[in-house]
Amino acid sequence: MKENKFFREDLFQKTPDGYALVGNKCTKCGHIAFPKNDFCIKCLNEEMQEVELSKKGILYSYTITRVPLGKFPIPHPIGMIVLPEKVRITAPLVMDEDGFKIGSEAEMEICTLYEEADKNILGYKFRVKKN
Amino acid sequence: MRNVVVLGVGQSTFGKLPQIPAVKLGAQAAKAAIKDAGISPKDIQVAYGSRVLDATQTIENILKYAGITGLEMHNTENACASGGTAVNLLWKDIAYGVYDIGIVVGCESMTTCSIAGQLVGTAEGDLNGFLGITMPSLAALTANRLMATRGATLADLAYASIKNHRNACLNPYAQYKKPITLEDVLKAKMISDPLTTLHCCPITDGGAAAILCTEEIARKYTTQPVKLISSVVLTAEYDSWDEEMDEVPVMRKLARKAYEKGGIGPEDIDLVELHDAFSPEELYSYEALELCPVGEGIPFMRSGATQIGGKVPVNPSGGLQSLGHPLGASGVRVVCEIVQHLKNQAGERQVKGAKAGMAQMVGGYLTGLSSPSVGAINILAI
Repeated sequence: MKENKFFREDLFQKTPDGYALVGNKCTKCGHIAFPKNDFCIKCLNEEMQEVELSKKGILYSYTITRVPLGKFPIPHPIGMIVLPEKVRITAPLVMDEDGFKIGSEAEMEICTLYEEADKNILGYKFRVKKN
Repeated sequence: MRNVVVLGVGQSTFGKLPQIPAVKLGAQAAKAAIKDAGISPKDIQVAYGSRVLDATQTIENILKYAGITGLEMHNTENACASGGTAVNLLWKDIAYGVYDIGIVVGCESMTTCSIAGQLVGTAEGDLNGFLGITMPSLAALTANRLMATRGATLADLAYASIKNHRNACLNPYAQYKKPITLEDVLKAKMISDPLTTLHCCPITDGGAAAILCTEEIARKYTTQPVKLISSVVLTAEYDSWDEEMDEVPVMRKLARKAYEKGGIGPEDIDLVELHDAFSPEELYSYEALELCPVGEGIPFMRSGATQIGGKVPVNPSGGLQSLGHPLGASGVRVVCEIVQHLKNQAGERQVKGAKAGMAQMVGGYLTGLSSPSVGAINILAI
């Protein structure tokens, strides 16, 4: 059986409800960074506190890459999701044959991004809901 | 500060030329620029090279093939804006009195470089690049957003590609000199929805060069000097969750600074050469460069204002859509194109009566920065 391994450990946090994405928040101005940053890009304060990000957001835009893209199987749908914490993140999407609609609700899932010989490389994708 | 003149320009052939090393394409361009300027290679005091991929000793190697040795030289890399950046550095040397005459040369071999045949990606260790963001997918994300929020149609997204392919039929330097239709664009192979191969610039090798000097030197060689009146290079600010992708703040800031530095306004610009690696980029660039008011890019484009003969022709050369985008060369090549128009030497594609033109190149992408991550604008005038 293959080992499961996150592509980057620092993006994820274990919660009672499974894994969530984790960013960090400026203790002075409240700006949230994802991925985590060691200082606040708004006020340059160096005290940042980890914060769990919402799993649900809104699809800002999307595209589906149809030509070979390194390690990823194609077609490779990718989008940008706006989270309630005022963070816009880029994320692979769960492929939907009916296509995607900007403004739809989307929810994060932990899944295999691609496989290596002895590992499943885990990451996050967003599943876009039908309106 | 001294006025700076572009004394000569030169380009190599642009095309799929895997048999010719990038530096030899650069040398072809350098020799052509030296000839165009009417100077000897020995007159050159300083040199700047521009190349993005697999670059090692680029300008030294180019100069070696062009009869120029033993002088101060530097190599630059700023993604798609590399060539514009190299022009800026040489402009500074001359404007601030460090040197009196120098050469800038950009080159790239996209057919033989280390990412040949792949989609151009972001940067080493970049999170969104890892997740699958490439330059075409980024343009496609913006294109879908333009359709959802601005009422852009598939025809609008293809407009620049169709216009620029038409322009290229008049340009002997163009890689592709064949007009295309909307149907051709839509039926072409899908790269990243909704962008097909005909929304995207082709894979191209090429070189471009320019000789810059003081007005005093220029007077010995020409009675119609083309001045480089403004040159600006900028990196982007951090991005924000609520910034629309088509706002392109770095391009807006670049344009504003370039106009202010040159003491010129967008209404004075007679032609623009800009980064159209992906056809929809032109649409929002018109607004960012203040060629039309914010929010009016689509009607401005549909009016024909940016075609040859229009209010302000954009990419009369055929743009990256038809000349391709040898990354290090393009920022110099757009300067060459503007100079040809200002000297009334652009042949059939000539923008009549052109007195001032803008050469823009933007590019690069880094997670956390507003996109594009870097840009360069050079404004030329007679």
